[in-house]
Amino acid sequence: MMLLLFLLSVLPADAARISDVTETSALEQAVRFFTFRDPSLRLALAGSLLLGVSCGLLGAFLVVRRMALVGDTLSHAVLPGVALGFLWNMTKDPLAIFTGACVAGLLGTMVVGWITRTTKLKEDAALGLVLAVFFGAGLVLMGMIQRLPMASKSGLDKCLFGQAAALGGGDVKLMAVTTAATILLLSVFYKEFLVASFDVAFARTIGMPVRLLHGALMMLLAAAVVVALQAVGVMLVSAMLITPAATAYLLTDRMHRMLVLSALFGLCSGAMGAFFSFLGSNLPTGPCMVLAASALFAGAFLFAPRHGLVVRWWRRRSRNLQVARENTLKAIFHVIEAGGFSREGVALEELAARRRCTVDEAQREVLALVADRLATMDKARRVVHATPEGWRKAQAMVRNHRLWELYLTNRANFRADHVHDDAEEMEHLLDEETVRLLERRLDFPERDPHGREIPKVIGGGGGER
Amino acid sequence: MTPALETHDLTVAYHKRPVLYGVDLAVPPGHLVGIMGPNGAGKTTLIKAVMGIVPPVSGWVKIFGEPASRALGRVGYVPQRESVDWDFPVNVMDVVLMGRYGRLGLGRRVGAKEREIARACLEKVGMLPLADRQIANLSGGQQQRVFLARALAQESDLYLMDEPFAGVDATTEAAIVTLLQELKARGKTILVVHHDLTSAQQYFDMLLLVNLRVVAFGDTAEVFTEELLQKTYGGRLTILSKIAQEVKNQG
Amino acid sequence: MIPPFDWQRVVVAPWTDGLPTYGWVVLMGFLVALACGLIGNFLVLRRMALVGDAISHSILPGIAVAFLLSKSRGTIVMFSGALVAGLVTTVLIEFIHRRTRVKQDAAIGIVFSTLFAFGVLLISMFAGQVDLDADCVLYGELGLVGMEPYAMIGGVEIAPQPVLTMGIVCLLVVALIFFFYKELLVSSFDPALATSLGMRPGVVHHALMAALSVVVVGAFRAVGAILVIAMLILPGATAYLLVSRLPRMLLLSVIHAALSAVAGLHLGVWLDCSIGAAMVVAGAALFTLAWLRVLLGRRLVGSPPEPEGTSMIGG
Repeated sequence: MMLLLFLLSVLPADAARISDVTETSALEQAVRFFTFRDPSLRLALAGSLLLGVSCGLLGAFLVVRRMALVGDTLSHAVLPGVALGFLWNMTKDPLAIFTGACVAGLLGTMVVGWITRTTKLKEDAALGLVLAVFFGAGLVLMGMIQRLPMASKSGLDKCLFGQAAALGGGDVKLMAVTTAATILLLSVFYKEFLVASFDVAFARTIGMPVRLLHGALMMLLAAAVVVALQAVGVMLVSAMLITPAATAYLLTDRMHRMLVLSALFGLCSGAMGAFFSFLGSNLPTGPCMVLAASALFAGAFLFAPRHGLVVRWWRRRSRNLQVARENTLKAIFHVIEAGGFSREGVALEELAARRRCTVDEAQREVLALVADRLATMDKARRVVHATPEGWRKAQAMVRNHRLWELYLTNRANFRADHVHDDAEEMEHLLDEETVRLLERRLDFPERDPHGREIPKVIGGGGGER
Repeated sequence: MTPALETHDLTVAYHKRPVLYGVDLAVPPGHLVGIMGPNGAGKTTLIKAVMGIVPPVSGWVKIFGEPASRALGRVGYVPQRESVDWDFPVNVMDVVLMGRYGRLGLGRRVGAKEREIARACLEKVGMLPLADRQIANLSGGQQQRVFLARALAQESDLYLMDEPFAGVDATTEAAIVTLLQELKARGKTILVVHHDLTSAQQYFDMLLLVNLRVVAFGDTAEVFTEELLQKTYGGRLTILSKIAQEVKNQG
Repeated sequence: MIPPFDWQRVVVAPWTDGLPTYGWVVLMGFLVALACGLIGNFLVLRRMALVGDAISHSILPGIAVAFLLSKSRGTIVMFSGALVAGLVTTVLIEFIHRRTRVKQDAAIGIVFSTLFAFGVLLISMFAGQVDLDADCVLYGELGLVGMEPYAMIGGVEIAPQPVLTMGIVCLLVVALIFFFYKELLVSSFDPALATSLGMRPGVVHHALMAALSVVVVGAFRAVGAILVIAMLILPGATAYLLVSRLPRMLLLSVIHAALSAVAGLHLGVWLDCSIGAAMVVAGAALFTLAWLRVLLGRRLVGSPPEPEGTSMIGG
């Protein structure tokens, strides 16, 4: 809604080159950016936002269908169409260029399909081939246009790297229309697009017009690519399709959320790209936008709540700490068990011998337990007592270990001398439910394969998850 | 006697999900061994782990008493037919010659001697008349024979074959069986991943039953029993697979 | 708009009066297409055509950074910059692809567009200092190659510097393919077999990527980032359609390179456009001919001779 209001306020304005008025400091530029005084700036920003949204939405479908590089091919293949559209009436008429480019882009994707169907060439070769050949043909045409004695050709070369500042009112209107059409079509036919993307064969069997849907998606894609050309450029428009969508893909498992997030990331990269290209006086918009999108991707790559690298590293670390704690508790249990459960305190030296570490290390481990209220130490810091909570956990660990060993030997035919290492790992992973299941399957056993007693745990408390 | 193939506690995981647990195995030389088990039981994985194509998480492999990496020259490998691109621009002869490449040094070209060996191997599988054919223009059975000829050209002592009988015609199947018997008679050891329970007894003198771990290994007469097959193919390992899933989720 | 076809100017002049300039241009075009095409054969066969696409884009920041750091445009500097960028690209793609659920195609797209964007920004920010501009990225300098300073060996002018460099690159590529033919063939056809023969397909893969980066730098300066892809794929793809043995495929891609260099020169002179782009258009025309032959051949023979075997591969 805000976006729409903003657009309405922008559209009537005239376009002037931003770069005409840029001989100022970065700070002043930033202030000017955020006050939206420049009508041309408002146009550029509106265009960037619009293209971010439409590319983000359509890109989500490309990424889930593993067609990311189809976007790349399509965006390069529009170039001859742009040139032909210009030659149509020798002016930079947005509509003629739009039509020409769409036709060329669609033709490109069709040729890819044609090549893979009729020859033994694989899709990657066909994509690369069409991409480069169409682009080469486009360059030949552009070279011919460059020599035509016409002033109005200026700006055509901008569509290679993109300059949002060169956007005119007509361009932005066209962008608004395509974006609106994209949103409308995707929301009305959401479930059709979803099914056709996930499982083409199934979609066909339930009578969906799969080819029509594919065609519609390609059409929207071509339109989105073409209107984005002015701002991002042919060379980089595919990144606006792929990167925001891939970022969203890292963050969510559901298609509808992915669409929203992807559009949002597209919007953010559009805005950031416009901003940075405005700050530096001579910077093309496309690369700025792409780098902004890539920065968002890197952020998600490292910090995504479920799959992010840093998060995973942190989770692994805390799990290792937990495993270490549980192993210390288990060692306390073993020492007491070896003494026939006749006493409660365990000396650090005994613990260290059991854990095969130095006394200092054992002390450090115990201190971690003390911090979690799983154990206490005497004043001299030499003797350890497990708290009731700690003792329960220790019992649970040993029980899990022995149950698992028993399961492996009795049910999975492992030899008794083969099961210890596996149980060492599994004891920390078994939850109460699985433990109950194992006990039932094994008829509530009393002894493990090595003949040791499986402790009963009073008051529950398995491995903490 | 040194086992032809020996593994100890061989465990393999894909994406942290274990697909093969603690395999202990000692295959005596001169036997024709069938590897059997349900889909996803780790049969192909076992072969690939032996070849060093997938790295194991733990355990080791010895081939004729040597670490596998040093003894690979004595192993011939027949992959599943789907694993290669049959549009590749090579003909039957080229594929069989590849079997000799391991014995040629870096930069050495194929010579007359190699061609002679390749021709003999093609003759053995009855494919010599088609030596100049592009490989896409072969039937499924013929493609399988080419792979066998290539393995023969490797002149190995241990052969690992991944489903050589999958999707071949009856004539080819009979030809392959004859060939395997002949190899065995020459003292070679052959491990074959096999699917068809009905023919297993007839083809192999030893059987290895696999389902995530070794269920049974021994002479066909001893191993091919109702109980062991039930154990291999029946769903008694639900907890094991459930927990494998959980381990995976824990990352 | 299309200039009239003047026989004298378009066909004869480049080989007579214009030979001192155009001779070098056509030689350079041939060398570029040759090196790219030979490496490209293996890209096509290994289904890695789009990795070529990625590397041809992402060496731009490598070259730009190398320029900015060393302030020189020496050949060694350029090649090492490109080599680093090329390896960074392949490693990053692998890293993203392995560590996340993002599929390989998207990973390729993200990595090369990021690096390329970075390169374009560097060039526009340091426009005065970098000896590259947007035009070079797009069109290359193939048409101007005859005006480059000549390389001197023992006081004799041999050839323009870029032509000599590209010639050396070509020799390296040919030597590489000659000596490692077996390894390249097996690791492309059946990586598992290559492992079992003790060939280490991983090493072959990275060596191929390194060779690709080196080839692409030379080609990049000549025809620009995008057209490099055409140079990489077109000869191999055309040959792949026509023959069914690897040695013939390599030979045919050499012929394709030569034909498209010559035809591209004449087309470029006629239309007065970038000769690199014209070479690509000419190469594409040759591909179309090969494709037509496939289509017609199919019609004449009926369905292609595919026995029951091929249908079972997919199943």
